[in-house]
Amino acid sequence: MSNDQEASVSNIELAADYKGTLGGAVLRHTIIFFVIMFIWEMANRTGFSNPLLLPRPTDIVASIWKIYVTQGNVWYHLWVTFKEAMVGCFIGCVIGIGLAVAAVLSDTFRQFLKPYIIIVEATPRIALGPIFVTWFGFGMSSKVALAALVCFFAPFVNTITGLLGVEEESYELFRSLGATRRQVFWKLMIPTALPTMNAGLKLAVGSAFGGALVAEFISAQAGMGILMARYTMSLNMPSAFAGLLSITLYGFILFRIMEIIDKRVLYWLSDDLMAKKSVKKETKIRGELGL
Amino acid sequence: MAEELVIQGSALGKQFGENVIAVEDANFTIPRGSFISLVGPSGCGKSTLLRLISGLIEKSGGDLLVRNAEVVGPRSDIGMMFQKAVLLDWRTSIENVLLPDEIRGTIDTDAKKRAWDHLQLVGLKDFEFSFPRQLSGGMQQRVALARLLQTGADIMLLDEPFGALDEFTRERLNDELLRIVEGPDITTIFVTHNIQEAIYLADQVFVMTPRPGRIAAQIEIDLPTPRNIDMTTTPEFNNYVQQVRDVLAGHLDGQPL
Repeated sequence: MSNDQEASVSNIELAADYKGTLGGAVLRHTIIFFVIMFIWEMANRTGFSNPLLLPRPTDIVASIWKIYVTQGNVWYHLWVTFKEAMVGCFIGCVIGIGLAVAAVLSDTFRQFLKPYIIIVEATPRIALGPIFVTWFGFGMSSKVALAALVCFFAPFVNTITGLLGVEEESYELFRSLGATRRQVFWKLMIPTALPTMNAGLKLAVGSAFGGALVAEFISAQAGMGILMARYTMSLNMPSAFAGLLSITLYGFILFRIMEIIDKRVLYWLSDDLMAKKSVKKETKIRGELGL
Repeated sequence: MAEELVIQGSALGKQFGENVIAVEDANFTIPRGSFISLVGPSGCGKSTLLRLISGLIEKSGGDLLVRNAEVVGPRSDIGMMFQKAVLLDWRTSIENVLLPDEIRGTIDTDAKKRAWDHLQLVGLKDFEFSFPRQLSGGMQQRVALARLLQTGADIMLLDEPFGALDEFTRERLNDELLRIVEGPDITTIFVTHNIQEAIYLADQVFVMTPRPGRIAAQIEIDLPTPRNIDMTTTPEFNNYVQQVRDVLAGHLDGQPL
């Protein structure tokens, strides 16, 4: 089970490689960042690179200020894309987890589903973008649909993997205790699968923005995808980069939020949360028993 | 005093698929309060026999009675313990011990008190609120033992419960197990592939041989109780070891292992 978790991108510890104090690490990274920005800026100013295609960092900063403050137009588009991505992600996850649970509980259904899943897996899901836009129109629905399709797979596969990872002896224990199917499902299968399922959800959330953006590139009235497409078409590269950075930033924030939720839900995988939980339960049960 | 028979098997058999005979023609009677060891090499059907008695799997032939009733499925007077502790990682020790009550819907303050007491009995004072990942392998098996006691079952089926632990821990846990199950009430069936362990613990050793799985011999162990580790060096003890070896050798000669 732990191998499946380790296999997911979300568990790569990005922050763990610094040596020494946190302050030292921040300082070091800040210096490296500014050196790179300085070289980039100078390459532009000396005519080494084409400022029209690769805008200067200072111009990008100015554009960020422009789209967020003076024009303030980015907020609306961000909201549209965010909404599409999240609604789509939710739908994709619900369908993915639902189908996975059905497939695990029923062998017949699993056999029936298998060829279709293989076909879906073999199809680059982004390629359905133009078809979805034709089907669902230029509005929000086509973006939601593509985001859902992009998000569907990771929760589906991870839920199946997680649920099938329950050991035979655990089933035997529950059966020897006379547990019902419902009890086995909720008290054994779901909690056992939860770490793997959560890893799938994190991957889904991470890919949701991509799905919505691609659908917007194809055709849309609003959203970050169409905004960036417009900026690039008019060669307003600093603003295009500002838009790109925004998406990166929100993706990162979302990922961090998911990680925090993940850690809280899976308290038994974290030493400090286990310690806290122990104390809480001890107080409660000792009180109840009068010990 | 006539011994009360709690488990009886006659011509009991279990076949998997077309031609895998896991248990064949098993005939035995197990008196109440006794400790039976099932010993034999891998694949001799000892785990299968245990699962037949537990009601986890169905027999293919013969008769199997527990308290004079055909075994048709898991029963509340039979409890099991496995080689793995099979604890739920997201629950503290006491919550794991309370699982049987939770499943049966009998969880209340009284049940929690009993769970607490069982944890003290298996030597887990101060670890009542630890999570499985915070416990050593031996301690995890102690939690599993407490959970078994919590079921209230008086027939305990143990499938190599300490087989994955180191020698020292295993010896200690074997002694504690004997202390807990001694007396006329609890009937224990203990599966192991360790001959010394089988003899040391049991009133009676069933020696099983593979292909097909059969009970080749039933040996009464007439050593004084309570047992202690010094007995394992006595001539009587070694005599029993030799008996078991002879039975296994007689059946295993010429068989590919």
